[in-house]
Amino acid sequence: MQAKVIQVAGLILTVAYASFIIWIYATEPRTFKEVATGAEVATGTYQIDQEKFNSALALFRREQFRAARDEWLRADPAQSDARTQFYIGYSFYREGWGRVYYDQDLFKQGLEAVNRAITLAPNAPLTVDDPDLQMHTAAELKTELEQGTERTWSDVNPLKVLRTRK
Amino acid sequence: MMTANNRARNQAFLCFLWMPLLFLTVALLGGLRINAEDHAFIFIAPPLVTLVLAVLLMLLFVRGRLVELHQLVASDHPPLRNVSHIWLLVTLFFASAQAFNSVLPERGLLHWLFSFFFLWTLWNNQFSSFDARRLLRSLAVLFGTAFVLKHMLLASLYSSDGGWLKRLAGVLLQGVSLGTLDAPAFAPATGYISFFTLALYVAGLFLLTFAWDSEKSDIDYRLEAGADRNQLASGEAILEGGGSRTGIGVDRQTALIPPPSDR
Repeated sequence: MQAKVIQVAGLILTVAYASFIIWIYATEPRTFKEVATGAEVATGTYQIDQEKFNSALALFRREQFRAARDEWLRADPAQSDARTQFYIGYSFYREGWGRVYYDQDLFKQGLEAVNRAITLAPNAPLTVDDPDLQMHTAAELKTELEQGTERTWSDVNPLKVLRTRK
Repeated sequence: MMTANNRARNQAFLCFLWMPLLFLTVALLGGLRINAEDHAFIFIAPPLVTLVLAVLLMLLFVRGRLVELHQLVASDHPPLRNVSHIWLLVTLFFASAQAFNSVLPERGLLHWLFSFFFLWTLWNNQFSSFDARRLLRSLAVLFGTAFVLKHMLLASLYSSDGGWLKRLAGVLLQGVSLGTLDAPAFAPATGYISFFTLALYVAGLFLLTFAWDSEKSDIDYRLEAGADRNQLASGEAILEGGGSRTGIGVDRQTALIPPPSDR
């Protein structure tokens, strides 16, 4: 009877350990901190650093987009919070937007961030109720970023300079 | 009786808990390298060639009787025991693959040279006569040599601060390019991790021999005890059929004979 208990306990423990090893090799963390963050994400206990998020939001509103992104990356090191990723995407949009032309690199990075945000919120459409923003859903932001990266004949329309940033 | 219980318990711990944990730790650390620049972890999954090498090594374990398949997995064993033993073999397989991964250069010509020599050695060994202990000694030497070559000689050759071998090679091979022998430079901690991994792996293989030995003696012991009980039962049946009980001075408990190692 005791041997059976040891067998069952051994199997459960070692299968859990093997799963951990597979997860480590799949996610390839670079530091112990990343291991801990990844484990929090996997167990569903991950939370962003709200203080850093708020300070990033303040920087965003002062149009210091790069500094804001740095703070948001520190607030969400695992890139697992849909709302933070939405804001990061939005900061790329605002920084890359120009009256005459759009910065393609920034728009592409913004698109990656907003795609991450959409992936992280698969059940319901991601909506951010922020009165300072003119686009409140990830779908709107994605469309705007996609349109910015496409080359069309309307790009040569001189009336485009009258557009406004959202 | 107490000794037998302790043996059974310890053996169960060894076979079903400690050895799988040990082999899985080898599987975890075998692919771990430390970046020389920022000391970040780099996890390298086992390349395909290490899986082939691990298959050859498993065959060698079976041939050298380090792994006795017919004892481990059999139709008359309880299903849970079979599952646990198969799981132990799976962990041993991946530990073997990662032990190779630990001593193989990561890329370039040297990776294929090392792989070829491993393949050659293991293939030759398939046709040699081995017993478990001789096989273990041979493997310890094989992994030890590969460790010295990769983590001492090659690490010195490719170290960023110019190891002793790099300076020596610079003097001997002036003007000769080592471009085809390119290998990534890792932090010295990688060598320590690899040493620990290989030590764990070889220790696990030694434990494997003890596990089977004790399992075998345990089975012998049970068989003998079972045979004595049968003899006792048949004697009692004869006596109950008309004979006298006088002269049978043993009961079922004393009929248990300790295993050979306790005698």
